[in-house]
Amino acid sequence: MEIFSQLGSVIVGLYNSSGLCHLGWQNYVMIAISFVLMFLAIKKQYEPLLLLPIAFGMMIVNIFPDIMANPVTQLLTEGQVKSMGLDPASYPTTSELLTKAQAITAGFEPSTLAHVNIGGSEFYRVVYYSVTENGGLFYYLYQGVHLGIFPPLIFLGIGAMTDFGPLIANPKSFILGAAAQIGIFITFIGAIILGFKTNEAGSIAIIGGADGPTAIFVTSKLSPELLGPIAVAAYSYMALVPIIQPPIMKLLTTKKERSIVMGQLRPVSKLEKIIFPIVVVVLVAILLPDAAPLVGMLMLGNLFKESGVVDRIAKTAQNELMNIVTIFLGVTVGATASGTLFLTPKTLGIIALGLIAFCLGTACGVLFGKIMCWATKGKINPLIGSAGVSAVPMAARISQKVGQEENPANFLLMHAMGPNVAGVIGSAVAAGVLISVLK
Amino acid sequence: MENMMLALSLLLAGFIIVFVVLILLIIIITVYGKIIQAAQRSSKTRKEKKKTADPVQSAAAAQHGSIGADVKAAASSEGTDEIPGEIIAVIAAAVDAVYGSKPHRVRSVKRSGTVRSAWGNAGVIGNTRPF
Repeated sequence: MEIFSQLGSVIVGLYNSSGLCHLGWQNYVMIAISFVLMFLAIKKQYEPLLLLPIAFGMMIVNIFPDIMANPVTQLLTEGQVKSMGLDPASYPTTSELLTKAQAITAGFEPSTLAHVNIGGSEFYRVVYYSVTENGGLFYYLYQGVHLGIFPPLIFLGIGAMTDFGPLIANPKSFILGAAAQIGIFITFIGAIILGFKTNEAGSIAIIGGADGPTAIFVTSKLSPELLGPIAVAAYSYMALVPIIQPPIMKLLTTKKERSIVMGQLRPVSKLEKIIFPIVVVVLVAILLPDAAPLVGMLMLGNLFKESGVVDRIAKTAQNELMNIVTIFLGVTVGATASGTLFLTPKTLGIIALGLIAFCLGTACGVLFGKIMCWATKGKINPLIGSAGVSAVPMAARISQKVGQEENPANFLLMHAMGPNVAGVIGSAVAAGVLISVLK
Repeated sequence: MENMMLALSLLLAGFIIVFVVLILLIIIITVYGKIIQAAQRSSKTRKEKKKTADPVQSAAAAQHGSIGADVKAAASSEGTDEIPGEIIAVIAAAVDAVYGSKPHRVRSVKRSGTVRSAWGNAGVIGNTRPF
């Protein structure tokens, strides 16, 4: 019988220490959302490289919230340290002067303490041991996001993978990359109207750039407390580009416009490709120093690739480094979506505004594409305008896909890559503007 | 009200700065692109002139029945001098592989236009179908 009662108490103990006992309904909602995101990543293959680690991080933090716990440092007396079964000699100490009454209240025996006389009053020197309890695994991995280290590293990898050839061949694509950033600034006004502070509004608006690393970088500078919801919103919308963009593109263009076949791009020489990153960095760093970390790393990666003399470094930036940072970034961004912190009206407002920003960016890009189509007498397909919202290369693929639905022999991919990579530079420039004005 | 003024001024400033920076980039890229293209074109013609002026080289080329020289001359006469030399060499090698020992000569290399072949289309569709 005693065995059964012990077994029962073990089971009760396990239940009490498990997540089941402490989780609120918000955690269960977030776990359900994480399952939906995993389904989209695995079954539908919507940006699985991002969505899968995000969804998994979201799930695990809602089952075991302590995985994101901050490290805790406690100041304990010698007796307290010993009562915890720890050796006081292995912990750093700090000392403090207390009056006799204060020392007794703090649990010290005054007769055992060294005392000093200052100005005729007796003070007792007490010694505290600082015992630090380590934080959760994701807390440490998250520091790369929190300190704004991962976004520029991701940009290094993107730069090493990006071919700016289509943009150099057709520099007018920059206009479309700039147009798609208008959504950012319009959303900023919307967020102010809804009562967000200016720095919060800036962080929310940058979601419209559809560039996760840029959104994280801006938010870590302007309003770090919103990092979780903004990062999740930015990456989720990047992953959901195939669902969000096509209806807007079709709504704003005619069948005839979508069928436009664009001429072949001119070949770009190696020298032009090598000069490009240097020119961009020099110009952007001089005009907008706040955008220099992002644009600088993007162009450094690109210079590695185009120079052709540091193949090993370029390959590391494209593959190993990029993959490692993506794993850490994805899983820790997902882990910021803890149900109790995430399911609040403010967060839901951020996610709604982020979606509006993203839709506005797409719409502005397509509308400017229409203007360019009209100005060039039908030589530009307006669908490539939507690719101006960075999200490389998914947004360009969407332009290709929607164009091909109208005309299967139409290949817009390389034309859309121009505005797409211009969008990366444009969103980094917009980020620089937001940081320099709102910081 | 103060925030609204800031928002409007940021909208205006952001719009202008982003466009100005990117338009500056357009101008710089267009200008240096043209300079590099012109420089590369002039160095190419200079090299070609040097080659035709060098009697030993042209004699050697004639002796070997050099495909590259023939094609280059044909390519420039057709106005397709944008096709890189490596591509022409690959095309010439492919022709040689097909014709083998039969007497043959590549006279010109032309782009086939924007319309791809069925095989080309199949390849591009295969590579651009992520979902």
